[in-house]
Amino acid sequence: MAIIERPAPGTTVPALTPAAPAITPSRTYGALRRPVATTGWKSWLFTVDHKKLGLMYGATALFFFIVGGLEAVLIRLQLAAPDGKVLNADLYNQMFTMHATTMVFLFVMPMAAGFANYFVPLQIGARDVAFPRINAFGFWCLLAGGIVVNLAWFLGGAADGGWFMYAPNSGPVFSPSKGVDFWTLGLQIAGIASLTGAINLIVTVLNMRAPGMTLMKMPVFTWMITVVQFLLLFAVPVITVALFLLTFQRSFGAQFFDVAAGADPLLWQHLFWIFGHPEVYILILPSFGIISEVLPVFSRKPLFGYPFVVFSGAAIGFVGWGVWAHHMFASGLGPVSVAVFSLATMAIAVPTGVKIINWTLTMWGGKLVFTTAMKFAIGLVVLFTIGGLSGVTHSVAPSDTQQTDTYYIVAHFHYVLFGGAIFGIFSGFYYWWPKMFGKMLNERLGSWNFWLMVIGMNMTFGPMHILGLQGQPRRMYVWTEARAGEGFFNLGFWNLIASIGSLILTVGIGLFLINVVVTARSKVRAPLDPWNARSLEWMTSNPPKEHNFDSIPHVHHLDEFFHRKYEEDPTTHSMREVASAEDVLAELERNADQHIHMPSPSYWPLVLACGMPFVALGVIYSIPVAIAGGLIMLYALYGWALEPSTAPESDFDAPSSNGHAVGASHG
Amino acid sequence: MNHRSSNETPAVGRLSVARVKARRFGQCALVATGAIALLGSCATNAPQDTWQPKGPNAKMIDDLQQPVFAVAGIIGIIVSVAVAYVIWRYKDRGQPIPEQTHGKPALEITLTVIPALILAVVGVFTFRVIFDLARTDDTQLVINVTGQQWWWEYDYPVQNEWGITQPIISSGQLVMPAGTKVLLRETSRDVIHSYWIPALNGKRDAVPGRIHTLRLEADEPGIYAGQCTEFCGLSHANMRMEAVALSKEDFARWIANQQAAYQAPAEGTLAKEGEAVFLNQCVRCHQVDGLKRPDGTLAIAAPDENVWSGAAPNLTKLMTRNTFAGAMFDLLRDACRDDVWKADSAEFGVKYLAGVDEACLNVNDLRAWLRNAPEVKPMYANPALLTETNGKYRGMPNLGLSESDIDKLVAYLLTLK
Repeated sequence: MAIIERPAPGTTVPALTPAAPAITPSRTYGALRRPVATTGWKSWLFTVDHKKLGLMYGATALFFFIVGGLEAVLIRLQLAAPDGKVLNADLYNQMFTMHATTMVFLFVMPMAAGFANYFVPLQIGARDVAFPRINAFGFWCLLAGGIVVNLAWFLGGAADGGWFMYAPNSGPVFSPSKGVDFWTLGLQIAGIASLTGAINLIVTVLNMRAPGMTLMKMPVFTWMITVVQFLLLFAVPVITVALFLLTFQRSFGAQFFDVAAGADPLLWQHLFWIFGHPEVYILILPSFGIISEVLPVFSRKPLFGYPFVVFSGAAIGFVGWGVWAHHMFASGLGPVSVAVFSLATMAIAVPTGVKIINWTLTMWGGKLVFTTAMKFAIGLVVLFTIGGLSGVTHSVAPSDTQQTDTYYIVAHFHYVLFGGAIFGIFSGFYYWWPKMFGKMLNERLGSWNFWLMVIGMNMTFGPMHILGLQGQPRRMYVWTEARAGEGFFNLGFWNLIASIGSLILTVGIGLFLINVVVTARSKVRAPLDPWNARSLEWMTSNPPKEHNFDSIPHVHHLDEFFHRKYEEDPTTHSMREVASAEDVLAELERNADQHIHMPSPSYWPLVLACGMPFVALGVIYSIPVAIAGGLIMLYALYGWALEPSTAPESDFDAPSSNGHAVGASHG
Repeated sequence: MNHRSSNETPAVGRLSVARVKARRFGQCALVATGAIALLGSCATNAPQDTWQPKGPNAKMIDDLQQPVFAVAGIIGIIVSVAVAYVIWRYKDRGQPIPEQTHGKPALEITLTVIPALILAVVGVFTFRVIFDLARTDDTQLVINVTGQQWWWEYDYPVQNEWGITQPIISSGQLVMPAGTKVLLRETSRDVIHSYWIPALNGKRDAVPGRIHTLRLEADEPGIYAGQCTEFCGLSHANMRMEAVALSKEDFARWIANQQAAYQAPAEGTLAKEGEAVFLNQCVRCHQVDGLKRPDGTLAIAAPDENVWSGAAPNLTKLMTRNTFAGAMFDLLRDACRDDVWKADSAEFGVKYLAGVDEACLNVNDLRAWLRNAPEVKPMYANPALLTETNGKYRGMPNLGLSESDIDKLVAYLLTLK
């Protein structure tokens, strides 16, 4: 829908605005007329709406979460007993490579991008992101990249070099299938989504905040997302270069990592981890942001030490650049480098610890309501602490040389990424579901979902601490009884427990999917403000209208929405309600903006992204196909360049009667 | 579910709910305690246990890490207890919405400085150990270690003070004198591998084109298990190694035997026929020092013509080792193996130096290996799939030996002592 009409004051607006009168663009741009559909699949395919794109990111990420999860279950089935026969060595190596690749690049990152897309504009009181078409382009790149990476399963085998893809094992001789080619090119395409998304969100946050919202009144989720976008902005180019070097080595005979030609294989490790370590914070900080929203809401208290949380997030972002070589303590860097990176790694534990302390103190003295969202948030605090502390033991480099590449590391980063990132994401699901879909996820199922995930997660990854410390290396398609030790609690016992845990975890996550279906079928609408929330995204309807806010709110407080609902009692200092959420919203509607002009849908982001898989397949199989893909992209770029971001009224045969002025300018 | 309605819950209902929740919390606490106790239960005698150091280098690491683990554990418990207390103490029992306090900077700064100080102390000790473990100036014996998909080669350069007057090349088991500062000089012929004997030291990657050093020292004679720990392709899981520490006298005996001249099998024996099979099939890649062709010329293996990475295990004195195929399989039957592995340190040397005889030979695995190696150990040895390597194998191919050839070969290999 090109132009959003303001609803008449006082009327309640249904979730989906009815289709605007059929109007068709009178002019073609590039070669196509603008899309005009406001409902149906076309409205999703050509949308530039940050909320629809957020949901599409989320749905894609959830799909890949299931794929990556099933890969993990197969891994655990293989390792449940000694000399496993579920997978052969080749398939197992593909499985763990793709499990990590999928979870990191195709689940956690796009899921965070989905939440960021949906909620950052809402939290800062904006009507969309700065560059809506680039936003759409980013999503289609992510999808195209995910498809290319996984296409290899059907074309001779997926990548088998581990997600870290160390040279020279990733070279054409040592990984002769096409899997690594699909992997490098697919991730290259998905990386475009991260890079364009980063620029888009940074510009959005810096330029499009509601009046009065200074940086230090910004919700912490938006803050953490902003830090993440800066990390992406500088980290993605590094992996881009590394992936290009690898592609050129594999497809065009370059010798960047060929030892016989004088290369040093450690070059790849440095490039990979200069990206890879900031990547860890890219994965975790969005979840830190989510629970920094959830904990205050369900504690009925502001975040304890807001500036400390913000600055510790930024500090993690900075120091995160100086710790990459702690992934390489056994690589042979020499004692000086090892010592420096060891100390830097200890240093980064400090701002991380600050966050744990602040979350705990946020709850201290509060009025705690244990919704599922809150349970997941508290789960994150405890589980991430365990993962963080095992991380501190790795920072002691000599100790790390015993632990690295064992299951102790696997335990560590699953506590951090599953207990941290994924618990945060699930907290976000339960917290924001009513906002996104106008319906509440079932809390009873949610509780089962939570407890099964807690039990499953601890059963799966807890024993891995023991497995690793007692000497079981990772990335082995079989383990042998000869190295499993003796006694009832031998490594075989713990491997079995971990495998059983992974099945419990699967059931827990299955309950979430069931919950989604149950909720979708339910007819019960969510209340306007189900959680008694605090930030701007709740100061609009569920789900929000396409233009988000009838009038852009003026911000006076951190937790603006809460302070519009409550005032402090001057004697007791407790808070009393002065306005309901409905009152606050009605107030906004009374002052609704007259002329709201939203960015218009476009074909070009999709067309441009569609050219990329052809380029990738062409590089792998036949250059003419790549040229065809390049021509599609060139065509889309022309179309895009010629098309104004917002359709001018004169573009349409029948502009609606009340006359529109061009409002917010969008690029 | 609208949680703001909880304010309106009648007091009685609220209390009973609270009691149920408290009981549930108690149960959870019980389960959690049980789980932690369970988690404290570990395997006994795990061969690669990182918390059972058997030499000064590993001990140095262990002494450094144990206090760190303890402090981390204590902090973990403090945080968990604090969170549990907050959950119990501040749950919604109908109390009013609290004052909207935004934090206490003094408290924040204190709680930031304390962990920073703890880490500073840890950092000082870490620093010392890093540099101590990097020392190479006190080395008593140098052994070159080369990784290759999927086995390790040990090469003892000439060191007259140890009686090594000609280079010794071995694989599968690293034999070294106990109580001696051994320096490994590691490299690789193909991809990155990592050398790790947890009881003796942390791991160090073997990187092609680079030489990395690793200190090893075992307090007592014995056998110490290890495993390649850098993912190195298809059979990474099967790339194992063992370090064997012998008393200095036993080590001298081992050295002397490794340098002893080749003993050809007697004419007319099955082993002699096996030697012919070996010369026909195996010597293309596998060297046996001193082995001569029927015409009297020395048989020199040329693995670089057949194997991508350029080498195959040197089989001279094969039966003085306890393992084969990258230490994936034992050369000893289980009972004989246990006899060696579990021998106390005084008897260990004699038992190890006895080597493998016909009674103790793990003939099943050895025959399976000779029959079709890539079937029992995944390797890139299928000639149809070797376009990227110009037809060269990565690992041992299926030689298509007849059962009678295998009989002969086994008899021959048993003479390599």
